[in-house]
Amino acid sequence: MAAEKAEMDALKKECDGLRAQIEAARKAVNDGSMSAAASGVASVGRVQLKLRKTLKGHLAKIYAMHWSADSRQMVSASQDGKLLIWDCFTGNKLVAVPLKSAWVMSVAFAPSGNLVASGGLDNICTVYNIKAASPKTLRELDAHTGYLSCCRFLSDTEILTASGDTTCCLWDLETGKQKVIFTNHIGDCMSLALSPDMNTFISGACDSLAKLWDLREGACKQTFSGHTSDINAISFFQSGNAIITGSDDCQCKMYDLRSDQEVICYQDASLNAGVTSLALSSSGRLIFAGYDDFNCHIWDSLKGEKVGVLSGHDNRVSCTGVPDDGMGVCTGSWDSFLKLWN
Amino acid sequence: MLLYNLSCLDQTMSGKMCSSSSSVIQAQKLVDQLRVEASMERFKISLTAADLVQYCQEHRRSDPLLTGIAASSNPFKDKKTCLIL
Repeated sequence: MAAEKAEMDALKKECDGLRAQIEAARKAVNDGSMSAAASGVASVGRVQLKLRKTLKGHLAKIYAMHWSADSRQMVSASQDGKLLIWDCFTGNKLVAVPLKSAWVMSVAFAPSGNLVASGGLDNICTVYNIKAASPKTLRELDAHTGYLSCCRFLSDTEILTASGDTTCCLWDLETGKQKVIFTNHIGDCMSLALSPDMNTFISGACDSLAKLWDLREGACKQTFSGHTSDINAISFFQSGNAIITGSDDCQCKMYDLRSDQEVICYQDASLNAGVTSLALSSSGRLIFAGYDDFNCHIWDSLKGEKVGVLSGHDNRVSCTGVPDDGMGVCTGSWDSFLKLWN
Repeated sequence: MLLYNLSCLDQTMSGKMCSSSSSVIQAQKLVDQLRVEASMERFKISLTAADLVQYCQEHRRSDPLLTGIAASSNPFKDKKTCLIL
């Protein structure tokens, strides 16, 4: 026992030393700020987007939405037990997918447009072929021991999932088996995002940390701290060099991956609601963040100022998304509606 | 399983008794992970922030939500038909 205690003490000492080393390395490159870098940039002024469509059809809270790569179709998930696929140009519903379990928390569209996936309190990620005459279950990915909080397709053959069991997982859709399991978080994983080059992904969790992972190695490469509560939303900046997080601590943060630290924080004394979701405009200049206060607030990502608000929902904004062509923003809410703005 | 081991680790690190060498394995994993994270090359914020600013500036003219969208080419806007009375 004494030998083990000595070993533990040595390891603890090494841990403390490494943490101090990381902090020192971060401090050493902390020679500026985003505010300073953006001081010469013109303000965006007040951003006033108009409500273009309200999509009605769900009968209960909407928990998730995801744009198709064609920037026209979109899939939404509601605890009424359905996925709805919408043509956002016309507002028409194209496909309704009935779910085995109504307790859905996440939905994703495959880049090809052929498949959608969803999951939630059933701990399973179910993949559907929506190009068949009627939606057909392709795979039930069943290995997580906690709820499915987020899923994202890499292609028609691979999907990434994040779970309340604190792990993320890369699945092979041809075999239905786990390819890589990503373990390092010590709290429920709430959200994930794929890098533009698809070599890495980021996850946000209830341990208030964001982590960057190598997709093929399975290794956690970087850990970002600063939030003081659950990270519910996470996204890559388009260049792939920075990430944005949204948290129950009512703040959003931008972390630069190359400097390995926070470069700006988006907070407002009057905002006392947790962040549920976020999405960036195509240049990365605007951050659309959904909050528990029923609004989606718009932030200038460079200057850290609140520049607008999307108001109209009668309950929490649970999901937000900008299509690949950047032509608008979609917000989904517990009020059962989706709204399109631009 | 992982959560149990890590909380066990915290207890062990504060000196309390815990079940065996699984704590040592967990502690070693933590050290290994920190070694990976410590080893990365970090770049000055003055440079990286400037690069992010540059990206936004370069792409601002092609960002429809910044530039605005003409009614005629707005895919989400409901098209109103004209009536000739």
